[in-house]
Amino acid sequence: MSALRQIAFTLNGRAVTADVAPHHTLVEVLQEQFALYGARESCAQGLCGCCTAIVDGRAVSGCLYLAAFADGADVVTIEGLADRNHLDPVQEAFISCNAFQCGFCTSGFILMTRQLLEQNPDPTDDEIRHYLSGNLCRCGTYPDIINAVHAAAATLHKE
Amino acid sequence: MTPFELQEPDTLAEAITLLDPDDPAVRPLAGATALMLMMKAGLFQPTRLVSLRRLDDGLRHIFIDERGELHLGALATLSDIERSALVAEHAPAVTQACHTLSNVRVRNVATLGGHLAHGDPHMDLPPLLLALGARARAVGPHGERWIDAADLFVGYYQTSLERDELLSEIVIPSPEPDTHATYVKFTALSADDWPAVGVAAAARHRDGVIVDAKLAVSAATERPTRLPAVEAALRGATVCADTIESAAEAAARSVEPLADLRGSSAYKREMIRVHVRRALVTVTRS
Repeated sequence: MSALRQIAFTLNGRAVTADVAPHHTLVEVLQEQFALYGARESCAQGLCGCCTAIVDGRAVSGCLYLAAFADGADVVTIEGLADRNHLDPVQEAFISCNAFQCGFCTSGFILMTRQLLEQNPDPTDDEIRHYLSGNLCRCGTYPDIINAVHAAAATLHKE
Repeated sequence: MTPFELQEPDTLAEAITLLDPDDPAVRPLAGATALMLMMKAGLFQPTRLVSLRRLDDGLRHIFIDERGELHLGALATLSDIERSALVAEHAPAVTQACHTLSNVRVRNVATLGGHLAHGDPHMDLPPLLLALGARARAVGPHGERWIDAADLFVGYYQTSLERDELLSEIVIPSPEPDTHATYVKFTALSADDWPAVGVAAAARHRDGVIVDAKLAVSAATERPTRLPAVEAALRGATVCADTIESAAEAAARSVEPLADLRGSSAYKREMIRVHVRRALVTVTRS
């Protein structure tokens, strides 16, 4: 049972393969086989958002997502946002608003903010709080995160 | 998680043949979010899981048929349902309930079928589907059958589905005109917690008299539960504070809330009274 199977998927724009067991999670495979540590397991229950990855355009909790399900999918992690010279506008906004302290939750918040702004380009404070309610920041930078979301929205409007 | 074998059939018929009616360690798997929690906690150690994600049967459909009934494919994700304009128009209470159901990432992956077949009394949509008079289509080795939502949930994490039966779709009947429905979720620990009490109500009234009412309670009870005696007392009653208060009182008395870390049985009984009242006020507002 539990034999390894090869899965093929797109990871941050690059075609890749990985040998995974059925019980491996996406976050395990990203870390152990691709040395991508931006998505990390924290609560392990899908509640905190630290393991967020984007699969086929939708945010998932990498700790509750079987790696086998990534076969054939388009996977984006925080490491895939910036090009060689430029950070993503959401990343820039989190820096300019000091929207993190230790940074452990930040990749999840940034990926979720991108999803939010794709669906709702000009969210209110309440809409931001509601959408990001599945992401936890134990340093308590929430007011700065809300500022960063507004700042990123303003930048994206200008582009 | 302990290792297991994973099968990914292409058709519903093939998936059913891979299930084992006698082996609880073999189970179907859709979005996997709820089952993953059980596997990580060691509460469920499968030998084999049958993934439904590759099924080509189109079980993500959302449409309204010629009779005005809303069909929701069992493999539609909760996000598909949350964002569907058809659902918002035909069953706005379902859209409303989806907004506060778990979080965005879980809704993106979890499916309606899994949400129901898991049999967890804390799930948000079951009480609402009871109040909306929904039914489920189940497919097994000997064909398909319809199950009233009220008959789907038979106990704590127990449904009336056989081990080798799969849900294929849920149908919500066309509501009578002027029916209002709502789902009230009360969380005791934090705003985003699982509900300590869930209450769903659907009602219509004419000239100040309640014509029809359906009421269901969940989360505090071992399974989502319709309250037919309370519904019967509401039918024909005048829309007023006394009617609603006595219905809330009767609802609270008619169930046995389970005590857990979200509150004692007595506390949950009181919260049922409060939230049944609030739900009935909402659905009888003109």
